[in-house]
Amino acid sequence: MNFPLYKFGAFGDEAYLVVAFLIGIGFGFALERAGFGSARKLTAQFYLTDLSVFKVMFTAIVTAALGVFYLGWIGVLDLSLIYLSPTFLAPQVAGGLVLGIGFAIGGYCPGTSLVGVATGSVDAVVYVLGIFAGVFAFGEIYPAITGFFNSTAYGALTLPEALHLPYGVVLLAVVLMALGGFAGAEWVERRRGTVVEPAAAAVGDE
Amino acid sequence: MARIALSRLTWKQKLAATAFVLGALAVAGDPYGGGAVRVDSRELARVVQGEIDHVSAPELADWLLSGRNDFRLLDLRDEDAYAAYHLPGAELVPLISLEDYPLYRNEPIVLYSDGGIHAAQGWFLLRARGYSGARILLGGLEGWKDEVLFPVLPEPTAPEAAEAVARLTAVSKAFGGKPRGAGAVEEEALELPDVEMPAAPAAPPPSAARAKKKEGC
Repeated sequence: MNFPLYKFGAFGDEAYLVVAFLIGIGFGFALERAGFGSARKLTAQFYLTDLSVFKVMFTAIVTAALGVFYLGWIGVLDLSLIYLSPTFLAPQVAGGLVLGIGFAIGGYCPGTSLVGVATGSVDAVVYVLGIFAGVFAFGEIYPAITGFFNSTAYGALTLPEALHLPYGVVLLAVVLMALGGFAGAEWVERRRGTVVEPAAAAVGDE
Repeated sequence: MARIALSRLTWKQKLAATAFVLGALAVAGDPYGGGAVRVDSRELARVVQGEIDHVSAPELADWLLSGRNDFRLLDLRDEDAYAAYHLPGAELVPLISLEDYPLYRNEPIVLYSDGGIHAAQGWFLLRARGYSGARILLGGLEGWKDEVLFPVLPEPTAPEAAEAVARLTAVSKAFGGKPRGAGAVEEEALELPDVEMPAAPAAPPPSAARAKKKEGC
């Protein structure tokens, strides 16, 4: 049992920053290669013409979920040491709405906006400035919304706990849901329109 | 049912099939390694309220003196403390290894530590894993010293009180203690019976440890 590596002392706090940097490079590389540096490809998700975002997200979810489960089962990974963000239901729904509206209007989410900046999109730079403005505005109104911010707390809730189902059953349900979603997404794409090619999108951008 | 030639599946379909197979195999698994337990908090609160979760020091002394050996006595401190002094028949079990220690679910298990905090925590851990016979030595070793080994005895004024004082003195001497106070007199020590405490059951094989927790009555 020696994963998560950091929690078992495989590297210290300074090395942690280097590791995080390398993982970030990998993440940005993967996003750009998937074509998510292009706002057109990202917003095509909402017009249901190119559901790549959905497919990439759920591929990642299924891979990570299966990996974490099996690594925990064979005893390599200590699940209790993995950080789980606490659930604050109402504020997180509100925040999700804000993020979704921004995503659909601006065409980027926070990670992909930085990928766009790295590849030279001017609209991505403006988007990142918008993120900073939004964070600043949130900081200014925070005293007024602190009560709401901390409301409906459920602690670090997992789906198996919330549904009172065994972990493995929930995992199978998630995998089936993802596979069904992939099939459905491909069906919708065939019906609705063309998949946006990253190269074509890049030509269309600034 | 059309026969699906494996070689004709696209790589996407192969990945999807792999994910499905892994998901199906996972249904019976437990990645937490058996460390997750369910606790009925109301039942535990009732047990604590009803005071059936502890054993007082004089009561334990009576058990030991009467030769009772149907219970396990666990010392939750460290090796040095155990070597310096431990209750007769006590087994040394550090708290961290309590989980793997071979115990029966239907036998009384008395836990003690210096002050009682670790004993209470060990009690909770055992209770959460279904060992309903777990009990705490009330007051821990400090309480044992105050009430059994070195009791403060008042000068007895009435015959009944004199009997009680004599008994406390005898018990104290039996365990190697020394009564204090005005009532302490030279008294014949009780004999501590030489009883062999029950041997630890053989550690169950790993497969049995993963079996369902319910046992027979």
